[in-house]
Amino acid sequence: MKDMWTWDELQKSSFFEATARERANGLVDKGSFTELLGPRDRFSSPHLPMLGEAIAFDDGVVTGVGLLGKRPVFMISQEGRFIGGAVGEVGGAKMVATLKLALQAYEQVRKQYPDSYQEKLPAVVISFDTGGVRLHEANAGLLAHAEVMDQLHDALGKIPVIALIGGKVGCFGGMGFIAAAADVIIMSEQGRLGLTGPAVIEEEMGKNEFDADDKGLVYRTTGGKHKYILQDCNFLVADCIGAFRSQMVGVLKMPFVALEQFRRIGTLDLVKEQLALVKLATELRARDSMEFWKHFGNEDPGALPDLKLEEFLKTAKRRVRK
Amino acid sequence: MALQELHFEFKIDNPLELGKAWIHCGVVSSGDMEVLMEKKDLEGGAKIKVVTPVKGFERVWALILERFIRQSRLGNVFIEINDNYATPLVASMRLRQALADAKEQKT
Repeated sequence: MKDMWTWDELQKSSFFEATARERANGLVDKGSFTELLGPRDRFSSPHLPMLGEAIAFDDGVVTGVGLLGKRPVFMISQEGRFIGGAVGEVGGAKMVATLKLALQAYEQVRKQYPDSYQEKLPAVVISFDTGGVRLHEANAGLLAHAEVMDQLHDALGKIPVIALIGGKVGCFGGMGFIAAAADVIIMSEQGRLGLTGPAVIEEEMGKNEFDADDKGLVYRTTGGKHKYILQDCNFLVADCIGAFRSQMVGVLKMPFVALEQFRRIGTLDLVKEQLALVKLATELRARDSMEFWKHFGNEDPGALPDLKLEEFLKTAKRRVRK
Repeated sequence: MALQELHFEFKIDNPLELGKAWIHCGVVSSGDMEVLMEKKDLEGGAKIKVVTPVKGFERVWALILERFIRQSRLGNVFIEINDNYATPLVASMRLRQALADAKEQKT
């Protein structure tokens, strides 16, 4: 086992298996990632030691800046292996500060390059691997969520925010809301996105309602393929860092107005679209997400989970957005 | 209940220095640890700080770390470990892994 991979090796490495730091390094141009508040700064949680819980030098969030071509990319990469990627005070503040830096860079680039700022505009990438609030520091963690949401709102229409989901923990709880507020969501088949996580649903509603041990059910309800069909995620890519990276490059080539069409929330029309989905859910009275897939035009929904990514992308019919 | 800090100091003759100014390795996941090694003028000595929720394993840490310093011959180094129930085997492996990474030239 090796801890440090070269950038070229990272491109072919599994996104699912990679650490937050490997993802951050591999997602931007070769050798361009500069970590801010890295392990050497030893900025760890002030709350965990009192509770006798292990700490990490980066508090489970890798933050920094890299390049994609001429564009600065502000990176937030969550480490799912440290307390399930749960967001506490320090990790949350690092997320907020990174978004603030991106907004400052945006103002600076516009001022400095009045004629050519478009090609140099910053972007924000958040690689999610989290169950949401770190319950050990609940109030500070919740506040961090609100502050991140605030920053996303300030970034609206200025800098694109791209969410990546393909890690072991997925993206759940309050961070599910944050991901939904991004401009673009890129997932892998292994990625999972939702609000209440499967285990919590089972605890609250019982095994008959939702069996969190049924992996097939969990993936059919929260996994990348389902989110792709529903248009909750915009792009579905292979499980390697290079695939996420090239989709990011593709997204950033699009004009900003084109990115806005990928959003899920943020305007009255989008709220109406979401409400129409809720209405559909109550009308369909579906017992399984496959009934939705069928509704959106997939004749043989049972075959979709086993399809390889390329075949799936060719075959799957998605919800049509107006 | 609070998290505990363990401190160790070792000194060997004719020590070797770390190949880089600093190296970080590992993730504090369950049963694992991270290690941060920094070059520091400690008159040839090695200082090690372990932060761990696990009680009662000072003697085991002392043995693991003493052996690591003896085998690696490291000196003038400050080593910090954030542990989360790593077994002695995992701890030894992470330490050697950090040392190997410090030797490699990476781009």
